[in-house]
Amino acid sequence: MMSNEMANDAGLLREYLVECEELLQQLDQDLVALESAPASADLLNRIFRAVHTIKGTSGFMGFTPIVGLAHHAEDVLNLLRKGERKFTRRVMDLLLRSLDNFRHMMRDVRAGGLQTYALEDLFSALKALAQGQPEPDRPRLGEIMVVQNVINHQELSASLAEASQSVPPKKLGEVLVEKQLATENQVKEALDRQAGAPGARDSARTLRVDVAKIDDLVNLVGELVLERNRLLQLSRDFSAQAIPAEKFEAALTHSAARLSFITGELQTASLKTRMVPIDMVFRKFPRLVRDIARNLGKDVELLISGEHTELDKTVVEEIGDPLVHLVRNALDHAIEPAAVRLARGKPAAGVIRLSAQQEGEYIVISVSDDGAGIDPQRIVRKALEKGLVTEERLRSMTPQEILDLIFLPGFSTVEKVSDLSGRGVGMDVVRTNLKKLNGVATLESAVGVGTTVTLRLPLTLAILPALLVRVAEETYVLPLHSVVETLRVRPIEVHRIEDREVLRVRDSVIPLVRLRERFRLQQTQDGDGKGFLCVVIVVVGQRRIGLIVDQLLGQEETVIKPLDGSVGHIPGLAGATIGGDGRVRLILDPTAIARNRDEVHA
Amino acid sequence: MQVNQARNSHGKTHGAQDAQGADLLQLVSFHLGGEEFGLDILKVQEIIRLQDLTRVPNSPDYVEGVINLRGKVIPVIGLRKRFRLEGRDHDAQTRIVVSEVNGGVLGFIVDSVSEVLRIPVATVEPPPRLGKVDREYVSGVGKLDGRLLILLDVDRLMSDAEQATADKIAAA
Repeated sequence: MMSNEMANDAGLLREYLVECEELLQQLDQDLVALESAPASADLLNRIFRAVHTIKGTSGFMGFTPIVGLAHHAEDVLNLLRKGERKFTRRVMDLLLRSLDNFRHMMRDVRAGGLQTYALEDLFSALKALAQGQPEPDRPRLGEIMVVQNVINHQELSASLAEASQSVPPKKLGEVLVEKQLATENQVKEALDRQAGAPGARDSARTLRVDVAKIDDLVNLVGELVLERNRLLQLSRDFSAQAIPAEKFEAALTHSAARLSFITGELQTASLKTRMVPIDMVFRKFPRLVRDIARNLGKDVELLISGEHTELDKTVVEEIGDPLVHLVRNALDHAIEPAAVRLARGKPAAGVIRLSAQQEGEYIVISVSDDGAGIDPQRIVRKALEKGLVTEERLRSMTPQEILDLIFLPGFSTVEKVSDLSGRGVGMDVVRTNLKKLNGVATLESAVGVGTTVTLRLPLTLAILPALLVRVAEETYVLPLHSVVETLRVRPIEVHRIEDREVLRVRDSVIPLVRLRERFRLQQTQDGDGKGFLCVVIVVVGQRRIGLIVDQLLGQEETVIKPLDGSVGHIPGLAGATIGGDGRVRLILDPTAIARNRDEVHA
Repeated sequence: MQVNQARNSHGKTHGAQDAQGADLLQLVSFHLGGEEFGLDILKVQEIIRLQDLTRVPNSPDYVEGVINLRGKVIPVIGLRKRFRLEGRDHDAQTRIVVSEVNGGVLGFIVDSVSEVLRIPVATVEPPPRLGKVDREYVSGVGKLDGRLLILLDVDRLMSDAEQATADKIAAA
């Protein structure tokens, strides 16, 4: 029995136990989370702090064995935190074992006092890890395979004997495959298991889903089954002529409506299982900003909002890099040094805002700063210098179009190439990455006031809200996110400028593309037969172009199917989808169509 | 007509032997422009009737379009056009042979599909000079009861086609 004056203070003891209990619970969760994100500095730090706190308070209470264990665990965690030791299954096992022992000791403390514990094994194992010794007692390959029921003990010993007797000695795995006791894949899997890195299986392939979301799915499937039964019954009644035609019609209409409703809900619910909060990305920024700001000797505050906004897992994985780029840009180029800021009458500390919010079917993420803003004159100079644009073209550009030059490949305005940004890849990477996600990047900036980059992304990539159009005899699909508006115009309103057809819409001039010509479809007259042309205005980057189609067929949610196979890549097409009639419909790629128009006329 | 069973018993059918122990080649035979062709059965996924085709704009002329094969979008090649044979209206005998080519799935439109044949490997001869079909796409000529079967190498046929597409796009 151990005792101590402090430990005898009932109030203090109770507080100690409550605190430790909380810490242990958190440790439990964090260790598990660490398994799927072994490199997370946040998690490692939190785990380290928790163990450190246990050590501190236990020391204060005089519980020496707990302090000892905490001390050893802390040593290992410290190495992990510094990245000097890799997080492996063995590390995880030992940490979890330590955790169990903490629990055990706490229970004893609660029950009256600490006992003596045989922790020498655990201590020496932890010590070995902390001293960076290679991990001993890796499970043997054969044992793993026996445990997995691939082979039995007899087969194992026979194969081991054969492996060691053959000249030159063979590996166990080779012998097993030769004797057809195991397939190559089974051996490979066992080897992976032996290597024992947790999360060796691609963690990106698994997803943690809130049980409530799964329950929603199950409920909806239940409703779907009920509706199916009703439909089957209806069909039976109809065949047996047990139901009058008008009643059948009403029931069928009702059933179809219900089915459509349930399917819609099911679609939403199943997509929700893929949704994760953007916090997964945002959470690394406070640290990033702090480190970079310190590096640059700038004072910067990061404000995050909307971190609970949920979006598709794929989007979350892809959006990280562009965001890091934008935030680095803001830190590096936009936010002025404190002295300059004060001179300009701004607070010494710069502010970077990172926000996310949902707007209908889109997620809008913005990165804004209250820095120097972008000087259009500098962009103009730079663009001319690099030959990205002609002077003639510049004269006809709007201020917004000039700002957008920054998205061109090979554009970087900062003269000094820094560690952080400004290697000339810059913003075009952001836009390219975003395009992969069917997203759009826009930039607003005011000199002296600040810059805001807004990223607009579809909530999910699996389903594409689309506009269906008819060109000649074919139905084509246009991604709705790129459609700005649709117009019916008289042919006389189409003007020609330098051999290109354009349309005046309000105060802007929009270049036109006749899809019928572009796709070399049969040459009859464009139009809806009533003397009007249908024009779909799509946004491509910051530009707009008008596509002339024969008819607008309406809006539909479509599922994207890849258009691959051996026909090669066809420019102007983004993929295919399957229509309600089972026929394939092609999805148009406005960007490629616009690019083609430029090239043809260049 | 599903020929998946033949594929499932992989190896057994392919390395089949006849009563005399000679190696046999299993082929799906089809007609095109008056000639009889053979395609290795392991290359054939299934044979379907002609369906509604969706034309693909700006694709090579031998790409007749794309179809929906149980939710998968696959391109369909007009084999007559590919071989620059004269066109012919599709009729009730017209079939699409769905095959795995260079890792992807493709359909080939043929005039008609006749049967599954076994021919001894030994009877296959190297391609002679052929009038209608470029000989580099022919892996050999098989003989069966006086019939001549042109054995098609679809992988080579389509990899050349792909190259042609790329060239065409580059030139456009």
